[in-house]
Amino acid sequence: MDNIAGKKSGLTWAVHISVAALVLLWIFPTLGLLISSFRTTDQIRTSGWWAALFPAVQNETLRTADPDDFRVGRDGYFVLEGNLYVVDGAVETPDDVVADVSVWGTSSREIDAYLPGETADLGDGETMTVQSNGDYIWTGNDEQLSGRGQRVFVTAESPPEFTLRNYQSVLFDPGNREGMSKAFFNTLTVTIPATIIPILIAAFAAYALAWMDFPGRALLVAAVVALLVVPLQLALIPLLSLHNDIGIGKGYLGVWLAHTGFGLPLAIYLLRNYMVGLPRDIIESAKVDGATDFQIFTKIVLPLSFPALASFAIFQFLWTWNDLLVAMVFLIDSSGETTVMTRQIVELLGTRGGDWEILATSAFVSIAVPLIVFFSMQRYLVRGLLAGSVK
Amino acid sequence: MRHTLYTSAAALALTAGLAHADAHMPFVAGEGGFNWDSYNAYADATDLSGQSVTIAGPWLSPEADRFDILLNYFEAATGAEATYTGSDSFEQQIVIDAEAGSAPNIAVFPQPGLAAVMAGNGLLTPLGDEMAAWVNENYAAGQSWVDLGTYADADGNDQFYGFFFNVNVKSLVWYVPENFEDAGYDVPETMEELLALSEQIVADGETPWCIGLGSGAATGWPATDWVEDIMLRTQTPDVYDQWVTNEIPFNDPRVVNAIETFGTFARTDGWVQGGAGAVATTDFRDSPTGLFASPPGCYMHRQASFIPAFFPEGTEVGEDADFFYFPSFEGEDLGNPVLGGGTLMAVTDMNDATMGFMAFLQTPFAHEIMMAQGGFLTPHSGVNLDTYSSAVESGQGEILLNATTFRFDGSDLMPGAIGAGSFWTGMVDYAGGADAMDVATQIQESWEALQ
Repeated sequence: MDNIAGKKSGLTWAVHISVAALVLLWIFPTLGLLISSFRTTDQIRTSGWWAALFPAVQNETLRTADPDDFRVGRDGYFVLEGNLYVVDGAVETPDDVVADVSVWGTSSREIDAYLPGETADLGDGETMTVQSNGDYIWTGNDEQLSGRGQRVFVTAESPPEFTLRNYQSVLFDPGNREGMSKAFFNTLTVTIPATIIPILIAAFAAYALAWMDFPGRALLVAAVVALLVVPLQLALIPLLSLHNDIGIGKGYLGVWLAHTGFGLPLAIYLLRNYMVGLPRDIIESAKVDGATDFQIFTKIVLPLSFPALASFAIFQFLWTWNDLLVAMVFLIDSSGETTVMTRQIVELLGTRGGDWEILATSAFVSIAVPLIVFFSMQRYLVRGLLAGSVK
Repeated sequence: MRHTLYTSAAALALTAGLAHADAHMPFVAGEGGFNWDSYNAYADATDLSGQSVTIAGPWLSPEADRFDILLNYFEAATGAEATYTGSDSFEQQIVIDAEAGSAPNIAVFPQPGLAAVMAGNGLLTPLGDEMAAWVNENYAAGQSWVDLGTYADADGNDQFYGFFFNVNVKSLVWYVPENFEDAGYDVPETMEELLALSEQIVADGETPWCIGLGSGAATGWPATDWVEDIMLRTQTPDVYDQWVTNEIPFNDPRVVNAIETFGTFARTDGWVQGGAGAVATTDFRDSPTGLFASPPGCYMHRQASFIPAFFPEGTEVGEDADFFYFPSFEGEDLGNPVLGGGTLMAVTDMNDATMGFMAFLQTPFAHEIMMAQGGFLTPHSGVNLDTYSSAVESGQGEILLNATTFRFDGSDLMPGAIGAGSFWTGMVDYAGGADAMDVATQIQESWEALQ
C-alpha cells in the first residue's frame, strides 16, 4: 500500500521526462514555423531555421550597376564606382551595409579568388577592386565596360536578419495574391456564429434535461448520448441535398446550421452533466421563493456553469476553426468568394508549394488565433473537461 | 423636337460605343509588326452582321482578357457578335451542355482526350478536309497537328475536328549563359554534344544537371516528360504514338531504352545535384535554384516553358537565365521533334459565324494579336516572330517553327490511372534505384488491369 494518495510515486521522473518530451515535440515545429515565417525565401533555401539566430556565412551573386548608364570617362578609359549591396537593393547607402565580405571573385568557377581590397586583373587592362563593405571600382576601356553589369561573387558573413514582408504579403497585399486576408475573415464569419449558436441552444436543452421533470427525459438523454457516436461524415451528403431542397444551398447559413447540428450532442451532454452536479439545495430554494424555470436558468444556473460553457466554447471554436471537410461541403462554391483558411492553405500547397516562407506564414496566421483563444481560456478547459465526471 | 433628341441620343450612344471599342482594341490599325493585310483582306471578304458566335473554354483571367481582345478585332472585321465564357470546371460543363443540346458554338479543349471522346459521341462537327489541308500546309510540323486534331466520329471514320490555338513547349533546357561563359562551355547542338558536355562538366569537378521529381501528390511527372522527350529522340513518331495508346507494351525494349537513357542523366554518379538519391525527393519547384547558386550547383535544367515562375526573385529570363532546345541525336535521322501541350478549338454547334471565326483564326493576324499580349505560342509559319511580347517567347516560337514533329505530352494522353498514376510512381521507383525493366513491366501490368 505504498502507492496511496499523498505519497510520491517512484516513477515521478518518468512522468517528468514524458511531459518534457511531449512539450518539446510540440514546441519545436511551432517554433520552426514561427521563425521561418520571418525569413526570406533565399534564407530558407540556404539554411535551416535553427541557424537563423546566428550570423551566417553566405555566398551571394551580386552585380555592379549598369555600365552604360553609370560609367565615367577618365583619360581614355572608363571607371564605374559604387557599392554592390546598394545596387542589389539590399541597403540604401554604403553606410548601412552590415555584411562583411571575406573573399570574392568574378568567375563562377573561382568565387574565392580575391581578398577584400585586392585588385583583380580581368585581362587587357580591365581591373576590379572590391572592399569588405561591398564598395567596388571597375575600370576598363569602352568595350569592356559595356552591356550588363559585371557579376561579383562574394562570400560574406551577415548578421541574423528577419523580415515582416511575409506577413505583409500574406495579410495586407492589396492584390491579395495569396487570398489569406479574405480567407481569414471568412473563417471568422464561419467560426463565431458556429460557436455561439450551439452554446445558446445546448444551454437551454441541458437545463431542461437536468432540472425539469417531463416524461421521456431519460430517453432523450440516452438519444443524445447515442448521437455522440454517429460520425458526421454519414450526414454530409443527405444534409447538403436537404439544404439545396429547402433553398439554403451552399453558404454561411448552411455551414452555421451544419456546425451547430454536429456540435450539439457533445454540447448538450457536457453541459447537462455539469448542471446536474450543481447543488440541488440552491435550485430548490429558488423554486420555493417562486422563481420560474427561466429565472433559475438565467440567474443561477448560467453563472454557475460558466466553466463548462467556456470549455465547450473552446472545443467548438477550435474544431470549426480548423475544419476543412464541413466547409468544403456546405460553404465553398466555385465562385471562390467563400474560401476559408484551411482550404486556402491546401490551395497554397499546390500553387506555392516551393515557397516555404508563404506557407509558414499562412500556417502561423491560421494557428495564431486558436493559440490566443487557448491561452486566454485554458484555465476553464481543464475544469470543463472534468465537468460532470466528479461529484 | 423629339426626333432631334432621339438622334442626338443615338449619336451619343454611337460615340460611347466607339470609345469603348478603342479601349478594347489596343493595337492601332497599320502599326506594329502585325500582318494587317491579312486582317483587312479577311474583313473585306467577310460580312457576318447580325450573327453571333459563342465560345466556351477553360481560360480565365488574364488569358480570357487577351482572347477577348482578339474577339473585339473579329467583331470589328465582320460585324458579328462574339462572346467568350471561361470556367474552371469547363471539362464537366461542356459535356453536360453538349448532351443537353445547349452547347456553345465553339469549345476550347485543354487537351485532345476529351475532344476525342466527344467526337466519338457525335457531339462535335468536323472542320472538313480543306481546313486539315490548310493546317498541314501552314503549321510547322503540320501533319502532327492534323493527326492530333483528327478523331473517329460516331461511325468510326476519322475526321478532322480540332484546330490547335495556343501551344506550349516542353523540350527546353535552361541554363545560365554567364556560367557557361565563365567555364567556356558552348550550347550543344546535338544530343551527342549534350552528353559530351555533361561528361566535360563532371570531369571539371562540377555537376551538370539539376533534376527534381517532387510535386506533392503528383510526384514523378517531371520524369515522364524526360522519358517522352527521349522517346521522340530515339524512336520514330509512330512508335511514340503506339506507346501512348499501348499498341506496343510499356515494357517494350524501345521504351525501356528511353527510361534507361533518362537514367544516364538522373542516375549516373556526379551527374545530378545532390546525387542520384536526391532526384525523387527534390521538389521540382526547388530544383532550378541550383543554377543560380554561388558557386553553381548545376549547369542545366530540363523543364517546360513555365519554369521561370520558380526562378529566384529578380531573375531576368533571357539575360540571367536562358534556354536551348533539348537537342536530338545527330546519329538518328529523326529530325527535330518537339514535345508540348496546347489548347484546341472544336466546333460544338455549327453556323456561318462559327465557320467565319475559324477562318479568322487562320489569318496570321489572329495569332500575332495573341502573341503580342504574351502567354501565347503558335506553330503558324506565316507569323512575324517580332510580334512576340518577349525575346524568350520568340525563341520558343522559333523552336516550334523549326520542329519537324510535334507530339503531345504522352502522359496526358494515356489513361489517368497510367499517365497520372503508375507512370509517375514507376518513375519515382526508377529514380530510387529500381530496375528499368521491372518498373516498365509494373506499369504495363497496371495498364492491362484497366482493360
